[in-house]
Amino acid sequence: MGQKGDFLQVLREQGYAVDNLPQPTNGSGLLNHTELTTGTTVFAMKYADGVLVAGDRRATAGNVVMYDRTDKVLEIDRFSVLAIAGVPATAFEMARILEHSFKYYRRSQLQDLSFEGKLRALSTLLKSNAPAALAGTGTVVPVFAGYDQLEGCGKIFFYDILGAEFEAVEYAVSGSGSPTIRGILFYMNRWGTGPVAGLNEEDALIFVLRLMTSAAEFDSATGGVDAQAQLYPIVKRISAEGVRTIPADRLKTIFSEKVLS
Amino acid sequence: MYEEPYRWIEAVANRRTYLDDQFTQGNPLIGVSFTQGILLLTFNRGTDKIYEVYDRIALGGMGHPADLEKLRYTLLDMAHVEGFQRSPSDVTASRLMKNGLAPVIKQAFEEIFKAPYITKILLAEVGPTQDRDHLLSINYDGMFEEQREFGVLSASSSVRGLLAQEWKAHGPLSSLQEALEVSLRLWGIASLLQASNSSSDREEEGKASSSTTSATAIPDDEAIASCIRETLSKETLECVLLDRESGKMETYRALNQAELQPLLPQYFAPTIEP
Repeated sequence: MGQKGDFLQVLREQGYAVDNLPQPTNGSGLLNHTELTTGTTVFAMKYADGVLVAGDRRATAGNVVMYDRTDKVLEIDRFSVLAIAGVPATAFEMARILEHSFKYYRRSQLQDLSFEGKLRALSTLLKSNAPAALAGTGTVVPVFAGYDQLEGCGKIFFYDILGAEFEAVEYAVSGSGSPTIRGILFYMNRWGTGPVAGLNEEDALIFVLRLMTSAAEFDSATGGVDAQAQLYPIVKRISAEGVRTIPADRLKTIFSEKVLS
Repeated sequence: MYEEPYRWIEAVANRRTYLDDQFTQGNPLIGVSFTQGILLLTFNRGTDKIYEVYDRIALGGMGHPADLEKLRYTLLDMAHVEGFQRSPSDVTASRLMKNGLAPVIKQAFEEIFKAPYITKILLAEVGPTQDRDHLLSINYDGMFEEQREFGVLSASSSVRGLLAQEWKAHGPLSSLQEALEVSLRLWGIASLLQASNSSSDREEEGKASSSTTSATAIPDDEAIASCIRETLSKETLECVLLDRESGKMETYRALNQAELQPLLPQYFAPTIEP
């Protein structure tokens, strides 16, 4: 018997294969697979009012662009967001499991799952997914951001493929385009005009679009901004009021006024 | 001794008497559909009686809290597994009732060596438009009823019948305030009818009379209002809105006292200025 309120336990009782994932056949070629399947750029950064989470929209398989309208920044509940890099099938499923787990917990236990409890839930999923990740068929390297109501602040966490969680002080990045962004963020924080975490919403959004454009410049698997096709990254803002999606129109205005020129 | 069919029927009839008796002191629960959504209303003495089941579905219960809790888990498990494996739009109150709740309750009721569920449940599902609202109520024996606009849990079927008539007398409800007023009034009627039924039962027992007379007249407005005021002073008014216009996947919202008071000025005593 599991604990009350554990949705994974309910799924197991229904015969759903939660832990029965593919095992690695041999140890070769792991890194190649891992790199191939994480083609993306997602990141979360703190700013004056909370946290911004952004993701490009391209899905690739090797050299092929599969899809240009992927949503990799997923709202899990009113106060948390999962940004995914990795194998979409596994990542989307993880997001769905988390969403239902949190809902199920809240409705059955009549209280919200704590922020730490949510982090643990994702960690558990990643851990049980480790064999598939090592086999190269299910690598997921997510960034989890949310508003911690106990402490009254936005928080960002990133994970490795085995489920270890690390708290980011100011920002976290994931995906093949992320080294570029990480470099810029590091530079800005150290030698820029001020810490990125102090930016207001408008300036932070300008910065987000510039970062995404830079990532796309050096990574073919990152979609960046395609103004011609009206394709803008998905950007969500997390604050004490909850999660809100920044409308594409606003990104469009900022992009044409502050990024192109 | 229960092998004979007659004995079994007798045992089931005894169960009915026992269960009916358990509900006489219970709090009625009203559910009404109106333009903005569905309103569920009851009073409680500390333990909530209305719960969220899924994105568009809520339950209201009457009876033993432990039994209600057990059945609530049955519904939650079923709804969330289905919503996860299929889609949230495939989770409907009608199927939860027919496939999930009704067989379980009926079986428990008829297995006369085991304890039955001492509970009645109302499931409400708010639709994208008002004509797709559903209100399903189930009795302790597994009999359920499906309605579009109105649902009620009460101690006896005679009370339910009278309330259904009274509901028909109202026109369509067009605001939250109107829905609150009407359902509170219906709750008051149900409560008074239940009370007079159980006291007339007691009198009958005293007189050893065999004829069953139950109250059939709707109490007058003054009696209803004073019953509501009296209950408000002793118990907590519990109201949940399944909000069709929430603009989110999730529609369930419990209305707090601060929201309710201005909507029901006639029942809440005005606060005395210092």
